[in-house]
Amino acid sequence: MKVICDRGALVESLTLVSGVVVSRTPKPVLTCVKLSAKDDALTLTATDTEVSIHLSTPRVEVSEAGEALIPADKLQQIVRESTDPTLTIATKDDQTQIVGQDSRFKLLGYPAGDFPDAPTFPDDADFEVSAADLHRLIAMTIFATARENSRYAINGVLLERHNKDLTVVATDGHRLAQAKGKCKSLQDADRSAIIPTKALNLLLRLFDDAEQTVKVKVNDSQVLFATDTAVLASNLVEGNFPPYKDVIPKDGDKKATIPTDIFISAVRRAGLLTNEESKGVRMSFSDGGLVITSRAPEMGEAEIKVALPEYTGDAIDVGFNPAYLLDALKVVDENQVHLDMKAGNKPGVLRTGPNFLYVVMPVNLQ
Amino acid sequence: MDQFFAAIAVLDDPSLRGKPVLVGGGGPRGVLSTASYEARQYGCRSAMPTAVALRLCPHAVLVKVPGARIRELSGKLFDILETVSPRVQPLSCDEAFIDATGSQRLLGPPEQIARSIKQQVRDELRLTASIGVAPNKFLAKLASDLEKPDGLTIVPRNTQDDPDAVARFLAPLPVGRMWGVGPSTEARLAGQKLRTFGDLQRCSIDQLRRATGGREHAEHLHRLCRGLDDRPVHGPREAKSVGHEQTFREDLNDPAHVRAVMLGQSEDVARRLRRKGHRARGVTVKIRFGDFQTITRSAVLDAPTDLTAELYRAATALFDKWADRQFRPVRLIGVSASPLTDAADEQPTLFPDPQREKQRQIEQALDTIKDRFGNRAAHRGQLPDKTQHRTYDPRNGYG
Repeated sequence: MKVICDRGALVESLTLVSGVVVSRTPKPVLTCVKLSAKDDALTLTATDTEVSIHLSTPRVEVSEAGEALIPADKLQQIVRESTDPTLTIATKDDQTQIVGQDSRFKLLGYPAGDFPDAPTFPDDADFEVSAADLHRLIAMTIFATARENSRYAINGVLLERHNKDLTVVATDGHRLAQAKGKCKSLQDADRSAIIPTKALNLLLRLFDDAEQTVKVKVNDSQVLFATDTAVLASNLVEGNFPPYKDVIPKDGDKKATIPTDIFISAVRRAGLLTNEESKGVRMSFSDGGLVITSRAPEMGEAEIKVALPEYTGDAIDVGFNPAYLLDALKVVDENQVHLDMKAGNKPGVLRTGPNFLYVVMPVNLQ
Repeated sequence: MDQFFAAIAVLDDPSLRGKPVLVGGGGPRGVLSTASYEARQYGCRSAMPTAVALRLCPHAVLVKVPGARIRELSGKLFDILETVSPRVQPLSCDEAFIDATGSQRLLGPPEQIARSIKQQVRDELRLTASIGVAPNKFLAKLASDLEKPDGLTIVPRNTQDDPDAVARFLAPLPVGRMWGVGPSTEARLAGQKLRTFGDLQRCSIDQLRRATGGREHAEHLHRLCRGLDDRPVHGPREAKSVGHEQTFREDLNDPAHVRAVMLGQSEDVARRLRRKGHRARGVTVKIRFGDFQTITRSAVLDAPTDLTAELYRAATALFDKWADRQFRPVRLIGVSASPLTDAADEQPTLFPDPQREKQRQIEQALDTIKDRFGNRAAHRGQLPDKTQHRTYDPRNGYG
């Protein structure tokens, strides 16, 4: 294999694929990136056996087709530290040379055939969605995922498709985020899949060009996303997603409308006087507006007043973890949010329009 | 308390009376927790390797005092102390500061209160205590050590007629008695011919600074040699973590065996959490090897827990992650839970788990059985049967 690469483009591509590469593994080939040169394109492949990325890097000139398997971190360091506009990468057997104007590196690699097969995107995609929409759906939910699976598979985001409707849901058991969007259906089958958080974080970085269209394929054990230049494949999280529809309250009869920016500022300020022992802020809603109070033992207290454009229902006192509220408020893209509540010990629901909904459990107030 | 653990051993086995008694772990790695006064004459000290102590005093009797027995007597001791004042600050299981300022109208002058505590300890525990009565914590602790065993030392008070009473009381004492003065400071002070509290009282702060090298240290000595200390007595501190660890007689080279020990530890930790109404938000596993290298691995739990199974799962996940790659024989293993939250503060969940509630009920039932019939009355089937291990019988020594 021999290719001449634009160094800047290669740095960018390597940064993206190396997000998959694991640094500590009993299998040394997994610390590598595979380079495949063919038909005037250089494709980088990395996998941790759960998630894999193929990415073709632009602005290359292939003078000899072939493959190489070399340690990702070293290749990345060499390419990043270089100041040359272009670098030549040439492979002979398991050795790869990276040659610049004043430099020549020889890296010991592995036979390219030792690398696990990374799935390629099939011809029959299920649906297409714009990268911008996909981004929005993921960003509005991913923060609510659990770090680990419990008895439910919640260390990931649930993706459901029904015809042209996409619903994305994430929960850690204390709050639940749901975002909706549209797709272009290519196959009729309704599908649902739980996609690991790691894969989605990579996806957010990989498909950051809002103009792109992303093809999606879900099969029994995998989900694949593809654009013209990249394929991201991931194993699905095994197990059952909790019955989330059952816990979205529909009976909240105390309804507040709150300006988003003012709400963020108020919650953040009230959160200053909370600590590990008193995580919650107390929210007192009434016709007169919202008063948020907090208290940290041995530190002090805070009180923030928020005028409400709209409030219906009886007055209510409810405690929320400010971090949970802020997580959702940060991704909201509208000027106002609606908060529906039933009682101080019942979950509240935050909404913006028909496409975003966030259920949050209250905390005990002593 | 005087030689608390050794005294318990003698109490439970009167034939040990008058003999040098060592309490602590046996085997090549055991360490003494207490040496009786008879054994101390041979140079045996707490925290000394048992093997060394036995070399100093070969005819000493080595015993182990069951933790349950220590907890029982310690609990009774603190029950007595708490009748004196609500402000009891434990220093260890057998040592505490008591702020009796507000108790005098009810219980009489301090000396009378101290005598009454000693009498109750003798009547109810059949053990002796040494008490120091003083205007502050530093002096009280110092005084309690002066006339052990069964001592009662009253530090005089400074009055208008005698403003130097405390200083005069302290003057003849060696500087080594001072809190914060260890062997190296003691040697450095001795180099300046400063051997007693009285010697220090005659020094200015600057002189002390030259003698010790540090301004802060000098100020500390300057105050303490006059008996000045204004730290308040505060109640028992909230536990920040709950943990159990165990050193093995021989390094364990079977991961399955280590896991079995961790199950017992998780059970103990979870039980203590439940007893205090705490939940763990994280779990730490501590692993020490034969060469004393120690590693710890921690994880944050998604949901705070006080359940054995959940603690054990998190602890073994950490252990396995390490052991799968680089297991080597383990000298010590420990499981601890931290940080802690109150069960009442727990964030309610959207998806309550009926199984988990059932599990909690089972574990609470086990707690009740153990509280009533002892730790060995019930345990998980996977645990190695502890009754096969050597046990201490009050009448026959080791089984």
